[in-house]
Amino acid sequence: MFVLVAKVFSFVLAVIAISKSYVDFRARLESLQIFLFWVFTWLGIVVVALFPSIVDYILGSFGGGRAGLGTVFGMGLVFLYFLAYRLYIKIGRVEQKLTKTVQELALREGDIAKKGIKNR
Amino acid sequence: MQTLAVVIPARNEEPIIAAVLSNIPSEIRSHRVLSIVIDDGSDDDTAGAARRAGAFVLRHIANLGVGAATTTGFRAALQLGADIIVTMDGDGQHDPREIATLAETLIDGPFDVVIGSRLMTHDGMPPVRFAANLVLNALTFLVYGKIVSDSQSGFKAFTRRAVTGMELNCAGYDICSEMVGEIYRRKFRYKSIPVRAVYTPYSHAKGQPFLNGVNLILGLFVRLVRRG
Repeated sequence: MFVLVAKVFSFVLAVIAISKSYVDFRARLESLQIFLFWVFTWLGIVVVALFPSIVDYILGSFGGGRAGLGTVFGMGLVFLYFLAYRLYIKIGRVEQKLTKTVQELALREGDIAKKGIKNR
Repeated sequence: MQTLAVVIPARNEEPIIAAVLSNIPSEIRSHRVLSIVIDDGSDDDTAGAARRAGAFVLRHIANLGVGAATTTGFRAALQLGADIIVTMDGDGQHDPREIATLAETLIDGPFDVVIGSRLMTHDGMPPVRFAANLVLNALTFLVYGKIVSDSQSGFKAFTRRAVTGMELNCAGYDICSEMVGEIYRRKFRYKSIPVRAVYTPYSHAKGQPFLNGVNLILGLFVRLVRRG
């Protein structure tokens, strides 16, 4: 029962993610490459969710033994953690740039720059 | 004549900002007093209300946080040639008449920073807020190695030298703790003096979102981890 719920959950998430990516692509907020990246990534996730045995098949075809889903999920978690770290760093940098830009604008357009102290 | 600048970060304070500004003295010990309001992306007309009340106004087109607004205010105060810079909240929590007490303590010195501590008397401060401030004092000590009476006070007076000497990067409420760290790092001479926290129906209604406290604690925790 739990496995079925997990499969449905993965499928629904994939549909939502691909739909959102498509909407962004149509609105020219996302490039074709990025849209295709998300489509294939999510399709891959859905295929693994629906047919978990495919992981052993793929690993076997590369000459590896049975790694088991646990190993794959563990690697996935590490990869996701790495992605979260990268996003954390990038968001921090973007926030810093935004802060600097907004502050400079406030100082440039503020009363002191426009009118100066003598007019007070 | 020397200049004292009062830096007031404000967001959505249109109903009260004029009253806050009207109670700021125009002169303290031969210093003319100039008010600078930094409207931090307000949805209302905080900027207009402050300008009509005679303050210099700088406007953040997006909400950055009280820390970023304060550092913008510091830069503006330095542009005005201020010798003394006082920070205070725009929600009426601080009594503007106590600006003179902070400034005079700084002038009589020798201090670089005077911190208005709400915890030295804590009259009228809700017990939960008092306890939360003690926790934040302890966290500030863990992160920055300095214990002060009220690490989260936004009511402080600085000399020009102190403002130019501090390296401030925090955009949010954690700037108060960062200032404590800079006081310690730069070996500034400082003094904490008691100030009254004014809790009005307005400030109670506006409150301090619980999420702000959580963000503050998380921010301090991240800094603690980064420092190892």
